[in-house]
This record gives sequence, C-alpha cells and structure tokens, in this order.
Amino acid sequence: MFGKLLKYDFRSMFKQFAFIWPAALVLALVNHFTINSFVTSTSEVRGTTAGISMMIYVAILMAMFITALVFAIQRFYKGLLGDEGYLMHTLPVKPWQLIGSKLLCAVITTFLSVIVAVVSVFIIMPWEREDFQQLFYGLRYLFSHWDSDMTNALLALLESLLMMLVSFATGFLQLYLAMSIGHLLNKNRVAFSVVAFIAINAVMTTLLSIIGPRMEHILNNIVGNWDSIASYHATIWVVIAGELVVSAVYFAGTEFILRKRLNLE
Amino acid sequence: MTDTLVSCTALSKRYGNKPALQGVNLELGRGRIVGLLGPNGSGKTTLIKILVGLLQPTEGAVLVDGQNIGPYTKSVISYLPDRMYFADWMKATDLFDLFADFYQDFDRTRAMSMCASLGVTPSDKLKTMSKGTKEKVQLVLVMARKAQLYLLDEPIAGVDPAARDFILNTILTNYNEEGTVLISTHLISDIEKVLDEAIFLKEGRITLHDTVDNIREREGKSVDALFREIFRANNIEGGAF
Repeated sequence: MFGKLLKYDFRSMFKQFAFIWPAALVLALVNHFTINSFVTSTSEVRGTTAGISMMIYVAILMAMFITALVFAIQRFYKGLLGDEGYLMHTLPVKPWQLIGSKLLCAVITTFLSVIVAVVSVFIIMPWEREDFQQLFYGLRYLFSHWDSDMTNALLALLESLLMMLVSFATGFLQLYLAMSIGHLLNKNRVAFSVVAFIAINAVMTTLLSIIGPRMEHILNNIVGNWDSIASYHATIWVVIAGELVVSAVYFAGTEFILRKRLNLE
Repeated sequence: MTDTLVSCTALSKRYGNKPALQGVNLELGRGRIVGLLGPNGSGKTTLIKILVGLLQPTEGAVLVDGQNIGPYTKSVISYLPDRMYFADWMKATDLFDLFADFYQDFDRTRAMSMCASLGVTPSDKLKTMSKGTKEKVQLVLVMARKAQLYLLDEPIAGVDPAARDFILNTILTNYNEEGTVLISTHLISDIEKVLDEAIFLKEGRITLHDTVDNIREREGKSVDALFREIFRANNIEGGAF
C-alpha cells in the first residue's frame, strides 16, 4: 500500500516539475553560450544578452526551490488536512504511511532540485570537448591510484549527502507538525500553523542551547585523541543521529494528531 | 462473518464543550437500506465520520464487521462525503486507477458503464467539469465498489428533484445487495420508498430506530409525516414561540 501511495505522490510531483527542471537545464545551456560569447568579445549587445539570460537563469533556479518548498507544504496541507483528506484518510492505509509517502516525495523532490542546480552550474561553466577527455583520464587515474585518503574523501561526500537528506526531512517534518497543530483549531488555521512553527523553532533552539554544549563536551572526551579525519566522521554521524531523533519526535507528533485528533472541516 | 455489520456502544462525541453525539447505541445488520434522518446539526455527519474513521469518538466503542476502525474497515466501507474530495488536475480515469489500486472491490468496467449512463466523459479533466458532473463522478466511484457498508452523507441535498431520482436510482441499481447502505438526509419524502429501516437522530441521540414497515404500522402514518411531527414539536420545545 505504501508503494501505491508513493506512486500517486510522485505522479503529482512530476506534473509540477515537468517544466521547471528541464527549463533550468536548457537555460543553463543557453547561458553557457551567451557567457562564452560575452567573454570572447567586447560587444555591448552580447554583454546585455548574457546579463539578461543569466538573470532569467537565476530567477528560474530560485523559482525551482520555492516551488519545491511550496509543493511540500501544499501536498501535505491540501492533500491530508484539506478536502482531499476526505479521500486520503478513508483509503485502507495507516496514517504513518500517508505522512511517510508525502515526506519521501518532498525530500526526493528537493534533492532532485539540488541535483538539477548542481548540474546546471556545470553546464554553464566553459568547457570544450577535450575537457571531457581530461576528466575521463583524471577519473581513471584516481581509480587506479586509490588509497585511504580517497576512501575517506568519498565517505565524507556520502556522509554530507546523507546529512543533507536528513536535514531536509527534519525541516519538512517540522512544517508538517506545525500544520497539524494549526489544523486542530477551527478558525485561523494557517495563522496558527505559522505560530506553531515559530514556537517549535523556539523550543528547539532552547533545547539545543542546553543540550548542545554538553553533547559537545561528551563528544570531545570520546574523540578528542582520535585523528582529525576519524573525529570528523564521528561528528557528522552524531549530527545525523541528532537530526534523526528530532525527526522521529516530529513524525510521532504528526502521526498522533492525524490518527487521534483529525479535524477536517 | 457476523450478522451484525455495525455496532456502536455508548458512543459520544464532543467538540470542545459542545456535544455532537451522546450515548449512541446502534446495531445494523447486513443487506439493508437504512435512512439516517435528522435535521441539520443533529449529528448525522459526525456519526458517519466516526464510522469511516475521519473522527475519533470521545467515548464509546465502534465495530464494523467485528473490527475496530482501521485499514480493514476502510477497505470494506465505501464513503460518499458531503463535499468534493479530489485534486483538480486529475481525470476521472485517474481516480478509477487510484480506486482500483487501493480497493480490491472496485469494478472499473462497472464504473465506465455507470459513467456512460450518467452522461459523464471519464477522460475529461475534473477541472473542466461542472459541479453536478463532479458529484456524479464521486457517486460513480462510491457505487462501483462491492462494499460491505456504503455511507452516503447527504447524497441528494444539493440537487434538483429530477436529479434526486436519478441518483437514488443509481444507488439502488448498483449497490452490493449483501452490503448495507446508510443514507443520511433531511429530505425524507424523496427516499422513504427505498428504505428498509429508519434512524431518527435528534440533538445527538437516537430517538427511534425501527423498520419502516413497523413505523408505519405502529404510528399509522408515513416516516416523513412522523419526522415532520417530531421535529416540529422540537422547534416548539426549543422556544420558537
């Protein structure tokens, strides 16, 4: 059943992003040429063209991330707390599956948007066909001379990616919890959701200022005499674990409200 | 499979301090068409929402087909809410896909033939459909299932009398005859002829639950006439004069 929920959430996501992702990549390609032609000449027209196309590109990247955020909020609010909730909450599934499906879809949407942004930057950079060859040789060299530094670098990269995904999830779950709390009221639900979001933020900041230094102290005692690379990995994993604990609390709160206190209009 | 399909015991629901249901005890068997009758605000929608799992009771217990409300009961209940519940970008056929995916008892072929007889083009986007057509799509979704329990919340409230017959006819020709249909309404004269049982709900309490035949025999009048009498009296008690 969870897979079926995901199927419908992803379908609505692709409808939303079917235009904006390709558009960002195409505009990056346009910029690749306009910037190169601007760099290689002093023509004012080319300069203006390059400036305008860069502005459009930046605007569409911003629009992409705003869309990703709005999409995540809207799919939860309209899909589970609005009229569509009458359909979703009467499907033969459990509330945690409804939340999980929305969350996974939102995290992947945001992650794909980040990938599109990164790829688009690579597209804009000046490159020639020979550059790809160089890159290929470089990678081949790396793989043939693989050592523990490389393993550590790759590990650190993967850990950072994981940390990014987990922090997206924590962020979305905070929004979900705030909206779920807001919908408990019969009036001014949106306003109350915003208040709830700020309140959760305040609580978390306070908690972090109390627990944070102690955690740091404990961590320092343990990893203090490790080498810097090992303590770097350890620190990242502690941060990930912390985010996961916070996420679990947000998830449990949201699940409780949807299961026990659902209050559709 | 037990004979009792729905069982509510000492069921109460309060919104804040306001009681919506108070000590409701109710048993419904299988293969019945039951009218849930009461004026606006008498608790009809609240009772249906509890049965379908959209609301949690404040007190009391509810069983459907012997089970607590959860994924199983949702899989045997077909629910028509009093509002539109779908995303606008979908087509009716997308919703058929969704229902076929989630409900094993959904019959796509029947849904398509119901669309044909109701004059709905299922490949149209819902966004382009009129309100009446959307309501028909929702009715098709609900009635194309072979459910144990159909919960129809005010299915005829918003439409003209000609369309009422049309909707009632669709319900009667398509429901699973081993299942039970619970129809909530305050328009009793239109549905009285199809009912096996009637439940009168007044200020969150069940004041009467009997077969329509028994009511007519005992009271010597139609359910509609009895309803008008009871709820007019209610107005006087309520201090209308």
